[in-house]
This record gives sequence, structure tokens and C-alpha cells, in this order.
Amino acid sequence: MNKRILIVDDSFYMRTMLKNMLTDAGYEVVGEAANGQQALEMAAATNPDLITLDVILPDNTGLDVLRGLRQQTPAAKVVMCSAVGQEVIVSEAIENGALAYIVKPFSEERVLEIVGSALRGDAA
Amino acid sequence: MVDSVLRPAGGKVAPGGPEATVQLIVFQLAGEDYGVRIEQVREVTVTPEVARMPKTPAFIKGIINLRGDIIAVIDLEERFGLVPAGRPLPAHSYTVAVEAAEYTIGLAVRDVPRPMRISAAAIEAAPEFLQDSGQRERYLEGIAKLPDNSVIIVLDMRKLLMASEILRLPN
Amino acid sequence: MNAREQEYRELFMAEALEYYDGMGRHLSVLERSPTDVPALNELFRLMHNLKSNARAMGHAAIGEVAHSLETIFGLIREQQRAFAGALVPVVFTGLDELGTMIRAVGASQPLPDAAVLLENLARVARGEEPVQPAAAVPTAPDTPSEEDTRKLELSDLVYIQVRKLDKLLNLVGELVIDRDRLLTLAEEIGHPALQATARHLFRISDDLQYSVMDVRLVGVGVLLNKFPRVVRDVAAAEGKEAELTLSGQDVQIDRNVLQMITDGLLHLVRNGVSHGLETPDQREAAGKPRVGQLRLSALTERDDVLIEVADDGPGIDTEAVRRKAVERGLTTAALAAGLDEQAVWAFLFEPGFSTAAQVTDISGRGVGLDVVKRALDSLGGQLRISSVRGQGTSFTLVLPTSIAVKGALLVELDGRPYAVPLLHTDTVLALRPEEFSVAAGLLLAHVQGQAVPVVPLRDLLHAEGSEPLPTADKTQLHGPQQVLVVNYNNRRLGLLVDQFIRQQSIVIKPLSKPLDTIDLFGGVTLLGSGQVCLVLDVPALTRLFVARRA
Repeated sequence: MNKRILIVDDSFYMRTMLKNMLTDAGYEVVGEAANGQQALEMAAATNPDLITLDVILPDNTGLDVLRGLRQQTPAAKVVMCSAVGQEVIVSEAIENGALAYIVKPFSEERVLEIVGSALRGDAA
Repeated sequence: MVDSVLRPAGGKVAPGGPEATVQLIVFQLAGEDYGVRIEQVREVTVTPEVARMPKTPAFIKGIINLRGDIIAVIDLEERFGLVPAGRPLPAHSYTVAVEAAEYTIGLAVRDVPRPMRISAAAIEAAPEFLQDSGQRERYLEGIAKLPDNSVIIVLDMRKLLMASEILRLPN
Repeated sequence: MNAREQEYRELFMAEALEYYDGMGRHLSVLERSPTDVPALNELFRLMHNLKSNARAMGHAAIGEVAHSLETIFGLIREQQRAFAGALVPVVFTGLDELGTMIRAVGASQPLPDAAVLLENLARVARGEEPVQPAAAVPTAPDTPSEEDTRKLELSDLVYIQVRKLDKLLNLVGELVIDRDRLLTLAEEIGHPALQATARHLFRISDDLQYSVMDVRLVGVGVLLNKFPRVVRDVAAAEGKEAELTLSGQDVQIDRNVLQMITDGLLHLVRNGVSHGLETPDQREAAGKPRVGQLRLSALTERDDVLIEVADDGPGIDTEAVRRKAVERGLTTAALAAGLDEQAVWAFLFEPGFSTAAQVTDISGRGVGLDVVKRALDSLGGQLRISSVRGQGTSFTLVLPTSIAVKGALLVELDGRPYAVPLLHTDTVLALRPEEFSVAAGLLLAHVQGQAVPVVPLRDLLHAEGSEPLPTADKTQLHGPQQVLVVNYNNRRLGLLVDQFIRQQSIVIKPLSKPLDTIDLFGGVTLLGSGQVCLVLDVPALTRLFVARRA
């Protein structure tokens, strides 16, 4: 069965790009959330294998959402998405249970490589 | 009730491996079985209230409100000349909403249409003898022969739905 | 550009403009309250998103500016800098510049150089003074003016959503219809609380309707700006020299109204070049400049939008049009002789009419100016023509700003409801058979001292082929007769119907193929009960009556 992925990003543009990349690679995108509240609700409802999580979201910081997700749906692997310059947040995210991070702007190969290895369980 | 009409047909796959199959929605016109490929069918529904439309040929029964879209409903039995023109629709009928690139149109039928899966190879090109009915013949894709020797006349909606073909409207 | 790139580009533009608007809003909050944390958080987030998206799209310069501004808002949030002093104008300049850059991307134009701005942003981020007054930051000279391009890009955003807006408007229309029924029922039942609630619902849904209509407004510029290219191409193909002037691009109009007159306007403009302008040599011989002038302008007049297409060509040859109308069988020689020039010019917009001696590729083929008239009729618009021989011609389309909900009178015929737009209804009468008179085979009613021809609606709807309508026979009338007097082009016509049902607001849905060729029906509407009701097209009924009268 295809691995199921939830995309969390407040930019529709970013979500669309990620969704296209992941869908093309054969993953099933089970949902798209635009804020932390939606992310937690959709993760609970869809129980995804992996979540891509933007570090900056409108209602919470990505870190709060990350902590919520780890508690609520611990089986879902989390990959952070961030732009250059958020290294501090990213390292805190890794400490809080994120498996890897993708730096925006990202290339398709890099996204698939990171998502693939996160799903296999090896660190990126 | 309406939705159950489009339940997928089970157990009709021919034995002997992954043979190409075609799924049809089959309905009766003047006692004969006709089929339309399911890709050309938008939905099957109990015919809602039909508003008669002046200025249209008798085989156009009128227009209906299909979930907010207004579509024309036609009686193919009349269109094909299988019955005299100008019959009212019965109080209870079904509409097979079929679509082509240009628009959606409803085919009014008297009995419940049923889905059926047949082997693609079973559809043969229309034989010459069918040319007795000029109108109908030009909309045929072919004739499907079933294992029990019955036949289904397969219509090609894309041909049927050419505006100029189906309607010779005034103006 | 492939479809996916195009999609990314549209999404990027739509979101970038949305972010830009949001930034402006939050920045004005910050101006009033320089430490407002929610505003700073939003500014930081929006800058961050704009930066990420711009970099992904390869617009590095936007990414740079957004990054610098993001850094500054981060510093302000962490109270390392204050939103005060020299920093404020630099930040505002930065935001303006981002807007300019986003619009340049939308217009596929080169981005302005942001070196000075970036330097200033870096300085204020370090707490230093900017290198020069922020207001003096130059913008690229060939960047189009802000207003011009803003409208163009907004249209992209609206375009993406129009299907959804159509649906929304339809739903609002149906809501309004149900609301009216509810209000009537509440009055009938007479329960005070129910009546109060129904009246409240009335006000809210009214507001909702106007809000939705408002959202659908776009600048006329989205259409007008396409015409320089059209004019250039037609002029080149016809050996004409033409200069097009546009004005009123900011005038607001419903996107679907604009859509409906697009073809008509295209014909008018093409016609303006190919028939409305002489060749350069002819112009010179007439003592005019070689380059012909074409003007395309929009303006608002009360609730209407006027779009004018004007040329400085030879003007309409009224006599040639008069002759042609007779040749084409559109009128008789005797009648034509008595028509004033306005009436003669109106023939230009009849189907199949063309006075072009030379059939050209551009305007001599296919549909003619009748598409203009048809679009106007279906919109409930009007056409004004003025022309002076030797000086030029002007066609003005008078369009409604919005086509949402129309008032209509519901009438019943043979057990079916039909809707007649109030725009074309004049009066309703109940007449006894002896109150009619018959002249020249026509049934006449006498309304306000005027003899109005009356015809059974049934006869018009069921008239077959090209046979004349049955001759009027008063003895066929029994009991009181319900007459709906309609009015089109100052021509009144009485329609006999079975009964009047009620007046109500309707949302007209166009008839879909293949039934859209029946011009007697302007569309359909769904009544509150879901019942399908045909909308009668009064102009077409009037034309049919004129053509078929006994």
C-alpha cells in the first residue's frame, strides 16, 4: 500500500508543489492543513505515515504543533520544512522528535530523498 | 434507491485471465437491450419533474433540474422511430444522464437501467441489416453478443450528442 | 510554459498579492501601535512565506527583499529594534517595492533593481541610518504605473475563483427566492416572532447578496488591455494605420458581464479598424492625419457601465445602410424611406447585415455585429450610436454593473410557470372580451390611449415554421382575459396568459446546449420548490411577433 502523507503549510503554493512532487512519486497525500489546529485534527482523522510540517504557521509555531503531533499521533513520522535561516528552530525540532528537515526552496530529488529515508527509518 | 442503480456489477468477469472488459449501463428501448459505456454516463436517476419546452421536436420531452444543472430529456424510442412521436412520458421513469464533450443530456427510459460488464471483444461492428433504421444506425458503436446469445446494441453517445444531429431546432 | 508551471505561477501570483495586501494591513496596525505582537507575527510569517515562494519560483530579488524585511520584523518582535525613526519609511518603501516587483512578475516584466533598498534595509536592521532618504529609492523607469497593473493581476486571482463565485451567487439567488417565500408565509401565518426573524433574514440575505456581487467586480481594464494587440493585428492585416487610446480601465463591473460582451466588443473594435477607419492614403486625401484614432473607454453612469468604441473615420453612410437593409429584406423600401438615421443604423446590428464592399479576413466573415445586440439583450443592456459623416462614429454599450438577481413576473400558461423579466414588463390588465377590438387581423387592447396589439402567448410559443400567426378572432375569447403588456424598444405588445402567479426575484441560468439556440427563452430559473421555470425573452418574442403577424 502506498505511504500516506499529510502536508502542513500555510502557503497554498507550497502545499500544491509538495503535493505534486509526492503524488508523482507514488505517495498518497491524505490531507493538506494550513494551520496548527487543522494539522492536529487532520492527523488524528487520517493517521498518516508521515507529516511534512512547516516551521512557521499562523496560529502556533511549528514547534508547538510538532509537540502536539508527537503526543497525539506518535506513529506518524514528522519532517520539518523551513527556509534558510531557521536552523535554531530546526535543531529544536529534531530534539522534539522531528526526523529530518527540508530546506525551502527545495528540489524534487531532495524532498523525495528525505521523505523516503524518513519513512524507511534511517536518519537523513 | 437511485444510487443503487449504479452499483458495480460483480461476477461478470470472463474466466481465463485479465481480458479487457467494458462496463455498460443497459436499458430497454421498445423491448430491445441498448447499452452505453459507463464512462459516457454521468448518473442514473428517477426522472424528476419535466418542464415541457415549446419550440422543440416532440422527442425532446423537456428540461429537468439535475442537481442544479438544467438538461434536456429525450425519448430515444421516439427519436429512433421505434414508436409514434408525441407520447407523454409515463408517471414514473428513469433518466440516464449521458455526457459528451459539449453537454449533458438525459435519456428517458421506462425500466430501471442496469450496469453490466462485458468483454470488449464481444462488441462487433454494427452489421448491415441494422441499417433498416436510419436514425439509430448512425449512433451505433456496435452490437455486443453475450454468452447466452442475447445482444445489446451499444450506442456511442459522442455521435448521438452532436447538436445538429439530435435536434433540428427551429431558428 | 507547461500546465503545471502555469499553475504554480498563478498560485504564486495569487498568494503573493494576498500576502502583499495583508502586509499593508498589518503594517498600518503597526504604525498605530508599534509593538503589536500579533501584527508583527503576521508580518514575519507573510514575509517568510513570500520569501520561500519567491525563491522557489526563481524570483531571487523578491526573496532578498522579503528576507531583509522578515529579519527586521523578527528584530522588532524580539525588541532589538523599534518600529520608529528612519526604519519606518525604509520598511514602507520596502513594502511598496515588493508590490512593484510582484506586479512586474505578473506582467512578465523585468524586476526593478533593489540594490539601494537592500542596502537601506541592511542598515536599518543593524540600527544604522539609511544611505539616502528612503523616498528617493528609484524604481525602474519602464515599470508600469501601479494602478494599471494592479487591476490586471487582480483579475488573475478572480479568474481562478469565478466558478466558485458563480456557484456562490447562484446559491445566494436561491436563498433570496426562499427568503421571499418565507417572508410571505410568515405574513400569512402572522406569528410575530416568525415575522421578525423573517425580516431579519431578509436584511442579512440582502447584505449577503450585495457583498457577493461586490466580490465579483473587476476592473474593465482586464478586457480593455487586451485590445492594443487586436488593433495592431487588424490594422496590419488591412493596411491601416491606427492608434488606440484606452481610458477608464479602473471602472468596476461584474466579471461575467464583461465576459458576456467580450465577443461583441471584439467585433466592434475590429469593425472600428476595418470599416471605421480609412486607409492612410484616403485619410490624407480627406485632410486627416494618416494615423486613424480609435478610442476605447469605460465610465460609470449611475448603476450602469458605459463602454464606448469611437473612431475618427468616415462615419456611417446612412443611405448605404438604408439601401442594404432593403436589399437584405430587413425592411421594405417604403418603410425604410421614413426611418430616421438612428433607426437605420440599428440595422447594422441585425443578423447577417454587412455593408463592407470588400470582404476581408478580419470582419467580413462569420458572425457580425449582431453578437453585440444579442449580448446586450441578454444582459438587459442598450446600444447608443452616434456618427458624423467625415468625422467618425461612436458605439456605446450601456451595461449593468452586475447581473445577479432580476425581478420577474411569473405567469402561468397551460399549467406551466413562465418568468418575464420586469425590465420588459409594462403593465398587467384584466380585460373583458368586448374591451378588445380587431383591426387588420390583429387583436388590439387600448392602454392609456394607445392601441396595443395582443397575441396569445400560446400562439407565439407554438408558432411553427414560418407560417403567420392565426388571425385574431374575438369570439374565441371567453370571460376576463389576462394581458401582460411587455415593452421592447418602445414597442408594446400584449401577451394573453392564463393567469399571473406573482412577482419575484429570480436568478437566470443560461440554457445549456443543445437548447441554447432557442432564442425565445432567455434561460431558466429554479423556483423555490425546485420547479424548473423558463424565462421568456421579450426582445425575441417581439421579433417573432413582428415577423409572423397575420
